Amino acid sequence: MELIDELKTKMIEALNLEEMTPADIDEQAPLFGEEGLGLDSIDVLELIVLLDRTYGIKIEDPKLGKEIFTSVRTMADYVAANRTK
Amino acid sequence: MKKRITHSVKLTCQTLEVDGKRVAMAVEGESFLTSLYHAASIEYPKFFKMDLLSKVGFIASEYLLNAEGKERFQPADDRAILLFNRNSSWNADTTFQQTIDNPEEFYPSPAVFVYTLPNIVTGEIAIRNKYHGESDFILLPEMSEAAMDQAIDRAFLDPATTSVLAGWVEAISEDDFEAFLTITEGY
Amino acid sequence: MIVRKIGESMITPLGFSVEENFQAVLEMRSALRLYEHCWNMPFPCQLSLIPDDLLEAAFQEEVELPRLPSPACTRFEKLSLLSAVKAVRQSGIDPKSERVLFVLSSTKGNVSLLSEKTVDMQRVTPAHTAQLLADYFGNPNTPITVSNACISGLCAQMEAYRCLLSGQYDAAVVVGADALSPFIVAGFQSLRALSVEQCHPFSDSRKGLNLGEAAAAVVWEAAEDYALDTSWKMMAAAVRNDANHISGPSRTGEGSYRALQAVLQRSGLSAKDLACLNVHGTATLYNDEMEAVAISRADLASVPVNALKGYYGHTLGAAGVLEVLLTMCALDHGLVPATRGFEGLGVSVPLQVSAETMKTSQRSFVKLLSGFGGCNAAAAFTR
Repeated sequence: MELIDELKTKMIEALNLEEMTPADIDEQAPLFGEEGLGLDSIDVLELIVLLDRTYGIKIEDPKLGKEIFTSVRTMADYVAANRTK
Repeated sequence: MKKRITHSVKLTCQTLEVDGKRVAMAVEGESFLTSLYHAASIEYPKFFKMDLLSKVGFIASEYLLNAEGKERFQPADDRAILLFNRNSSWNADTTFQQTIDNPEEFYPSPAVFVYTLPNIVTGEIAIRNKYHGESDFILLPEMSEAAMDQAIDRAFLDPATTSVLAGWVEAISEDDFEAFLTITEGY
Repeated sequence: MIVRKIGESMITPLGFSVEENFQAVLEMRSALRLYEHCWNMPFPCQLSLIPDDLLEAAFQEEVELPRLPSPACTRFEKLSLLSAVKAVRQSGIDPKSERVLFVLSSTKGNVSLLSEKTVDMQRVTPAHTAQLLADYFGNPNTPITVSNACISGLCAQMEAYRCLLSGQYDAAVVVGADALSPFIVAGFQSLRALSVEQCHPFSDSRKGLNLGEAAAAVVWEAAEDYALDTSWKMMAAAVRNDANHISGPSRTGEGSYRALQAVLQRSGLSAKDLACLNVHGTATLYNDEMEAVAISRADLASVPVNALKGYYGHTLGAAGVLEVLLTMCALDHGLVPATRGFEGLGVSVPLQVSAETMKTSQRSFVKLLSGFGGCNAAAAFTR
């Protein structure tokens, strides 16, 4: 659970999701598309940088990102399984 | 062809003037640009993702187009966007440079890099307003009304263009920016 | 009144004149090289870089150093000055005349200065370099710099065209230049836009673009129209915005389609008149697809399409000038250059990509470019 909150906080900062708090983000909700957070292709790339810098996870193929960045929950699972720092 | 300026906005880090009248603004606990965003009841979360140059140009254009009073967000290809400054995307450039300066902490930021082109602000205004017309960004060695006026005249040489949203937008830092935008109609 | 070309120059790793560059392209030589750790960056990439010693030698030979405020010039300043000097000399114009305007096209100018300990802020912007050019030639007019992302080189020529047609000036010197640096390369890498292989425009196998550095300059002049004039003329130019996304091209090719439509309508040209469409063809997944859709929508699918990025990479602010001049030179020889790197069509609509060098008897072409900020440019040229 801690990791989920940490990710939410870091996402808000990295993606400039101004006027949002971690509580506003549903960990199961889709990050992309109209009904979710509405993130776009640049946001995915920025999230890849975030995972690299913070958790030492290198994602070479951005297409993999689609599955990893489905929701905060899937991101947290991936980070927990693959983090090197 | 003749032309006339129909509306103008002057924005600095402390003041906003719309059509020559100062807009009073109480700033409490947030930046001037964010206050102006809220005061105009704008709902456009992408604003917070913009770099400083785009924020300044965006806010100035919002007040300008609201002053014009026409129905907003109607797709159009008859209005050109033509912006000018001296220092290009200085603020985003220096921010991006910080992400690559240290070889030990080499994490170039894609979200910052996309703003290291001065014309992105013209794109932001075009997207917001569904303007498919001409968009261009010109750098001048110094602010020159004459050079800008000549360039606005030239923009009307595109037969599709009947009005030009034009002006000077410079953004060095949070406490050093200015925008002077006008709508010029041809007739 | 017509607007015709009276001078040109080109500085690339493949040669320091237009003709040399054309010969290299004819031989399918590429300036792209694989660098494992260019400037100590932690990733390999293909770049087209002009060797320092060649640039310095040409600069010392062609540019009169006493006319500069300081002989210590950056690579970007050297590229800009060198290409301007060569084009102005060939044109025979008096660059001191108040009837001459200098127009620079650059995306990032002296941005490499930002990595220095003490940054000379005044000098970073290309507007400073444009003034350096005007001062070098003793030109009294305020020079303009177009910085409209990757379409800058065509926008700069469009500005020149309008200046001349409207009588604001009699001649315009358009210089397109960008020098590569860690700033630019790391930026494109962060967008995952770079291919570690040499690029494959319009192909199934395309994985992204390569970056290159170059300078190219062209002098346009306003002249009376007469039937025997065989110089290259600019017929029309247009810029349109996708109004869609700041970095992703429109899936419907909206801006490019509209720019093409405007240029065809104004020039009176149609598919049957065109030797080729010299397109952007960066070899990113989305750019090439977008251009193909726009070309198809504009009823130009029967026209040979070619792209030059396989020879030079994407030369940013130089691209719009370099690619126009090289296409003109090729058509002077009755040829449409091959699209180096093309490996079989990988876009959703039919397109006549020139895989090999082709003969042509046509003397007109359309140039297409697109850039971040959703901007798209098209221009038509004929002789």
